[in-house]
Formats: sequence, C-alpha cells, structure tokens
Amino acid sequence: MPVSELRVGLVGAGLIAGVHAHAYRASPGVRVVAVADPVRAKAERLAERYGAVAVGTVEELLDLPVDVVDVCTPPLSHADVAVTALDAGRHVLCEKPLARTLGDARRIVDAAGRAAGLFMVGHVSRFEPDHSGAKALVDAGRIGEVRMVTHTTTCAMPTWSEDGWVADPVRSGGPLVDQAVHSFDFARWVIGSPAVRVHCLAADTPAGPATYTLSTVRYANGAIAHVEAGWGHPASRGFKLAAEVVGTDGRITWSYDRMMGGVLHPSSGPVEWFDVLGDRGFTAELRAFTDAVGRGGPSPVPARDGMESLRTASAALESARTGRTVDLTTWEGS
Amino acid sequence: MTEKVGIALLGAAHTTHAWAYARALAAAPATRVVGVHDQEREHARWICRDFDVPFYASAEELAASSDVDAVVVCTETVRHRATVELAAAHGRHVLCEKPLATTVADAEAMALACRTAGVQLHVAFVSRFLPLVARAREAVRSGRLGAVVGMVGGNRGRPPLPPAYPAWITTAAEAGGGAVIDHSVHVTDVMRHVTGLEVASVSAEAGSLLWRCGVDDTGVLLLRFDTGAVGSVDPSWSLPEGNPWDYDFYLRILGTEGSLDITDTAESLELVGNDASGLRRESFAADADAAMLDAFVASVLEGTMVDPCASGEDGVAALRVALAAYESAASGEAVALTTAPRPTGRGA
Repeated sequence: MPVSELRVGLVGAGLIAGVHAHAYRASPGVRVVAVADPVRAKAERLAERYGAVAVGTVEELLDLPVDVVDVCTPPLSHADVAVTALDAGRHVLCEKPLARTLGDARRIVDAAGRAAGLFMVGHVSRFEPDHSGAKALVDAGRIGEVRMVTHTTTCAMPTWSEDGWVADPVRSGGPLVDQAVHSFDFARWVIGSPAVRVHCLAADTPAGPATYTLSTVRYANGAIAHVEAGWGHPASRGFKLAAEVVGTDGRITWSYDRMMGGVLHPSSGPVEWFDVLGDRGFTAELRAFTDAVGRGGPSPVPARDGMESLRTASAALESARTGRTVDLTTWEGS
Repeated sequence: MTEKVGIALLGAAHTTHAWAYARALAAAPATRVVGVHDQEREHARWICRDFDVPFYASAEELAASSDVDAVVVCTETVRHRATVELAAAHGRHVLCEKPLATTVADAEAMALACRTAGVQLHVAFVSRFLPLVARAREAVRSGRLGAVVGMVGGNRGRPPLPPAYPAWITTAAEAGGGAVIDHSVHVTDVMRHVTGLEVASVSAEAGSLLWRCGVDDTGVLLLRFDTGAVGSVDPSWSLPEGNPWDYDFYLRILGTEGSLDITDTAESLELVGNDASGLRRESFAADADAAMLDAFVASVLEGTMVDPCASGEDGVAALRVALAAYESAASGEAVALTTAPRPTGRGA
C-alpha cells in the first residue's frame, strides 16, 4: 500500500454518497475504506460495492484508519459530523449546504479554523464544466466586469432522500437552501463581491409550501443576481438549469436544453441521452479536494464561502417569510 | 367598404417603432396614412421618404384633417399625454406607443380623456400579438396549467443609444426611466393578458450598470400577484453589440397542473457570413407590428376594441408596476399597489 494513499470514510450512504464514491475513482491514490450510516443496510450496500467497511456511526468510523471524512448526511447533522471529524484531526469534505442553520455553519467555520485538517464545502457547481468554464471566461476578461447573473434551476420534488427529508422544509430549508444555494454561491463567486441585500418571493405548489421561489440579490459592487429555484414542475420536464452572466463587454449563456451531446434510439427500449456534463463536476470537485489535501492546502472552497452562500439562502427564506428585503450587511440570521 | 381608414402619425420620435408602424400601415390594404407630424422633422424623414407620407408641420392641422379617422402616437413618452388629448379632442381613436406615460397621473388622464371623448385608446403592447403568446393565453385560460403559481418573463435588448436611436429614449425626464420602464411593461402586460392576474406588489433591483447611458439599463422585478402567485421580469438592455439576436421575449409559467415555456427566439434561422459580424439569428416570425395595427384598424372599423388589443387601462396597469419598481429599487423595500378606483368624470 503506497504511503500517499488517501483513505476516505463516507458518512451517510444516500444518493450523494454514492455519487461521491463513484467519482473518487478518478482521483489517483484515493480509496473509500468505510461507510457510516444509521440505516445499516444502506451503508452495507454502498460499502460492499467499493470494498469498504460498513459502520453505523461517525464515532465508529473515526476509530478506523480514515484520513478523510466525507460528510454526505442531511444538512441538519453536517455540523455535528464535521466538527467531530475536524476535532479528530481528519480532513473533511462537507456536502452543500454547509449546514441547515447559520448557527451550525458558524460551528463548522470555527472548527475548520482551529483544525489541522483541510476543510472544503462541496459546492459542486464551481467544478461543473459549464460553471467553471464560465468563471474561466470571466477571469480571462472575455466579458469585462460581471454586472448581472441569472441562474435558474427547476424540477419536480426530489424523491431520492431518506425518509423524505428534502421535502420537509424544517430539515432541508426547501429549494432555497437545498438548491438555490448553488445559484447564490456561483453568483457571488463569479461576481466577486459580497451580497448586500436579498429579496425573495415564494409560492406554494402541489409539491409543498414555498416550493417555488424567485429571488434578487444585490452585491456590494452594484451587480444584480436573479435566481429562480423550484420543485413544483412536472416530473416529465426533468431538471432544467439555465444561466446568463452579463458583463460590461459581453455575455455568457448556457442551458441544460443544450447539454445533450448525443442520443441513442434503440429499436426497442428506452432512449439513452449522452449528457456532456455527466459526473465531471463531482469528479473535478473531489480531485480538487484530494489534490489540496496532498498539497497541504489551501481549501478550494473554504467553510467561510459555504457560510456566505448559506447566509444568502437563509436571508432569502427570511425575506420570503416576512415580505421584507434583508440587509445582509447587518443581518445575523440564525 | 371601399373607403380606407385614414391614419395620422402624431409624433415619430420613437423613430424605429414609428417607422415600423408606418411600414405596416402603408402595406395594409384597408388603411391610408394621411400624414406624419413631429416637432423635429428629422424624426419623420425616413417615413416620408420610404412610404411617401406627407409631413405636417402642425399636429393640430393633421389631427383635424377630415381624412383622419384614427391616430398613432409615437412622440417622446413625456409628450404622449398632450398628443393623445389632442387626438381625443378631435374625436380620433388612438394607438399610443408604450409606455403609456412617464407618470400614472398622466396615464390616467389620457385614459379618462379618451373615455370622455368616446374614442378608443389602444397601447402598443406588441407582444400580445405574438402567436406564441396567444397560444399560451389559450392554454392558461382553458385550464391546462391549473392555477398559476409563478411566472418568469423577459424582454431583453441592446441599449437604444444614439445614433441609431434618438437621445430622449435614454433621458429619464422624457422617457420616464430606462430599461425597466421601456421593457418591463411588455412583460407585465403579457403576464396580465395571459393569466388575468393583477400585480399586488413589486420589489425590484435596477441600475445603470452596463452602458453608462444615464438611465437604468439592468434590472429585475419581483411581482406578487393578487392570488399569491409570484413572478419576475428581466427587462434589461443587456445584449452586447455582437449578440446573435437583437431582442427576445420569453415567458415561463408554472401552474398547479403543468408548466409552459415559450420563447420567441425559437422562430429564427442561424446565419453566419464571411465578415466579422459572427453568428446571427434571423427571425422568420410573422410581423407582430402588422398584426397589432391590423387589429387597431379593425377596432376602428367595428367601433369597439377587438381581441387581443391592449386598452388604456392595460397601459396604466403596466406603467404602475414599472414605476413601483423604480420606487422599490430606490427604497429597497417592496411597494404595494393599491388598485386605483376607476377615475370618474369630474362633475358628472
């Protein structure tokens, strides 16, 4: 066994843990060695596929020789797992949103600040070829200064979550915290200026209360973001993402409507679409994380960035609830 | 009927739209363009030349001409009121360029003047005449989407800067503002037209962020409708010089029983030449200006507004939203719209 091998313990064995486990295979010298999940059968199923050990709790996982703890639990437990792992000296990758509450997010930021290990938030959008490609074009000066970002993600109510936690606004925060947090993170990243105020309107759909949302965000440099996120669309429409980045010298746009590079029509059986994105985002994200661990830092997406994106999402929730604009320069949140 | 409907163009200050309306009217078999007036003769130059339309130095004289049945008003927005009131005083039906006015008070006065004079006031909400919008309206009104939950619409374009456009369009005092008042009214109107919902409150962000043209060129409006449905509008002049298309109109609607997405850029071909201009999307859409003017003329002939023409009240409603957006962008808070009581004739 090479000394440089990085041993990963997954905490949580749901949908995203499976995606991570698969994507780690593209990172050389990285091996998933343990999977923890209170639903033991799920942990065992995932562990078996990767030749890993299944355990029930994060404490059991930390008793094993794991270098990295990859937090793929529902967001309400991110802080407990991440802080425990950081305090145990491990490197930690934490799925987005950083946490369900800003209080939890602060605990993680504090723990990451005092920890020896590297901490990264899994804001995968930054690593998706479409989003990272747009950021590279912006950084190369191709559209001048970014002044407006429009980011829209709409789909049906996700059905993948254990015990339906995503559908529960208390546990997931709804589409603003679970989904639009990607948009808020990407917008601030590409605009390069802190968010200063948020206004959000939410509407109920048959999928649940406040499951369709429209937000505006203003940034310190004057730029504007326009974010649509919802779970109320018919399932047949699929997951739609469309983005526009408008700068003083140009405009970048893309859409999932144009991300199918091929289609296979068999004489019988289901049509197969060749998605040009596939799991390239997760592969690049995990590669960036393991490379950063190998180099000894810095974190590709520090805890503080995840907290800022969560703060915008939480402020949008607050705005939707109160009907008021939230001033992010003073808002503490909870 | 052998007699043609006589149309006067009162004002051609919105040069591109006035020219397009003149072209459509000149080509329409049932109409005759009696003349064009503008305070600046230069604004009318191409209309006179291209469509052989006589220029009138006096608006009064043109409005009073016995050949005139109806007028099309394309003055600077701030002068819409005086021009529409002149037309109404002469008993002429009016099609007025959007936005209806720069203030709600002016817009309401125009609607009142036309009602009092017994003439029709139409507003040039040309997007209503897009066939895709008609299909969307039919789908929503026949219940295909269930109850409307949310809408996202946009009408983006290039900045209307000199020399291609007259300077007043990017002057707040004459145009009432920039992109928000110029484009949001189209989208707000189509949202109302398609769904029948009314806007209850508006919050917005807007700014002069791209072109340093002195007025807002970028913005987003968030709308709360009277049913609780939500909406957003992107009216930005956010297209760079080399954009493959010049403007767009799109609307996405989510309902309790379905969703609908329309975009007018679908009606186009991609063209690339051997010069440096790059990719172009050349539209093959039917001429919506012509459809709008045909409907205006049909309304004049029938003596009542035909579907789907936009009325003065529609113009007031869309203007209220745009002006509330400016108020919200400045204050940072949502602005509630009180449904104004329909003005009644003074002393009546």
